[in-house]
Amino acid sequence: VPDGFDQFVADRLDRLLRYATALTCDRYLAQDIVQNVLLRAQSRWARIGEMDAPYLYVKRMVTNEYLSWRRRAAARDVASTHGTLDALGTPVGDHAVRHAERDAMRHRIAALPRRQRAAIVLRYYENCSDAEIAAVLGCTEGTVRSHISRALRRLRATQDPTRRSTSRPVSEVL
Amino acid sequence: MSDLETLVRQAIAAEASQAVEPAAVLAGLQRGVRPRRRPTTALVAMVGLAVVAGVVAVAVPLTAARTRSDAGNTAPPAAAEQNILLVGMDGYDNTDSLVLARMGASGTLRAVSLPRDSAVDIPGHGVDRLNSAYRTAKAANHGSDTAGAEGLVATVEALTGVRIDHYAVLDMSGLDRLGTAVGGVEVCLRAASHDTITGADFPAGRQVLSGPALLNFVRQRHGLPNNDLDRIVRQQAVLRALAAKLADPAVHARLDTLVAVVRADIRTDPGLDLAGTLRRLASSTSVQAATIPVGTDPAAETRGMLAVDPAAVRAFVGDFLAAPPSAPATPSPGDVSCVN
Repeated sequence: VPDGFDQFVADRLDRLLRYATALTCDRYLAQDIVQNVLLRAQSRWARIGEMDAPYLYVKRMVTNEYLSWRRRAAARDVASTHGTLDALGTPVGDHAVRHAERDAMRHRIAALPRRQRAAIVLRYYENCSDAEIAAVLGCTEGTVRSHISRALRRLRATQDPTRRSTSRPVSEVL
Repeated sequence: MSDLETLVRQAIAAEASQAVEPAAVLAGLQRGVRPRRRPTTALVAMVGLAVVAGVVAVAVPLTAARTRSDAGNTAPPAAAEQNILLVGMDGYDNTDSLVLARMGASGTLRAVSLPRDSAVDIPGHGVDRLNSAYRTAKAANHGSDTAGAEGLVATVEALTGVRIDHYAVLDMSGLDRLGTAVGGVEVCLRAASHDTITGADFPAGRQVLSGPALLNFVRQRHGLPNNDLDRIVRQQAVLRALAAKLADPAVHARLDTLVAVVRADIRTDPGLDLAGTLRRLASSTSVQAATIPVGTDPAAETRGMLAVDPAAVRAFVGDFLAAPPSAPATPSPGDVSCVN
């Protein structure tokens, strides 16, 4: 194993996992994707390590792995899962109200189409430029702007507290 | 930046903060093993109560890590390899479902079902029905469930010659909820059956069971041609179907939720990583299951117990657990074979 790869992992693994988790809204799917991608990257590190931006390339691999993830359940289910986990998990406390709006937004983001979600995660979490997002998603900058504006419109349109997701029976979610 | 964008940023950051610890991935990288989320063929191929008992039992009960100084029978398993006794129990301290499972270091899972009516030597008690070992040890120790489980473990160790690292005791009623939580499991009956005890009727053919019906299905032995042996096959069918459900990414991705569902029925030791163990079981790459050899000749039965040749059982279990992963015995995924 080349030292360069180990160093890359040491430097970037945490960030990659967080990015993948934001992207997938599923920490375990994120874990599997990152692990798969790093194993592939490891075997090709001689080439990847020579690139100008290995992190961008690996991030692109992670993104593609997610976008092509077959049999992935609809994002709507993911959103429901959060609702259920929240309902089953942490007791409602003082800060529940404070976090309610943010968590509602999490659910709405989880319900976005994959590419729109990828675009806004790259923009608002990874702070990428349109050009960088275009490189990761393999599309034009115009398409990137379109993804982001549509996603924001959608998130704004559904930002209605009266329609906040309520927890559903577990059997429905699973 | 707009308020909306600020909120989006905060929400994404909150989502990202849910990421698993990097150490979990580092361990996988060091092993060089690709995660397998869909162990379809292997899981569908498993034949034996086991596996899912793994899943069920681990999901459900109390899995106490046991530290033992006496190696006793066989050599200790290699690092990362674990032998777990999975116990399905009714409400009366009868251990009606027993599976000895070995989780291998490389994602393999081998499981041996032990018929509850097997005539075995219970240490300190004599020859009796296997499913009384727990109750006997518990009664002898002021009603201690821990003692009951330890007694059962000692009995199974003596019977199989396998050292058991952990045990998990599952109240079978938890299966009711688990089956419902995964949206029901599909089974197939060769013929309609009627249980004279519970009154449960099941039609012939394929059917999806959950809740109390599922529980009745796995508990029935009266009114079946081969009594408890048919019940074991039913349990194996349910566990197989359940494992297939868990392998479904849509369900698999919600293991945390699933654990939360069954937690309510569970007693676990605080050190147990329930979700982690469940994931490991559900993502096993190779699953093999079998039942120990027992005498099925009614003439050889004593007090309704199945005759068991300890030497044969030891040899069988030793060979089975140690064998390398082999090709799945059942070729077609999604196939639901019919049972009595």
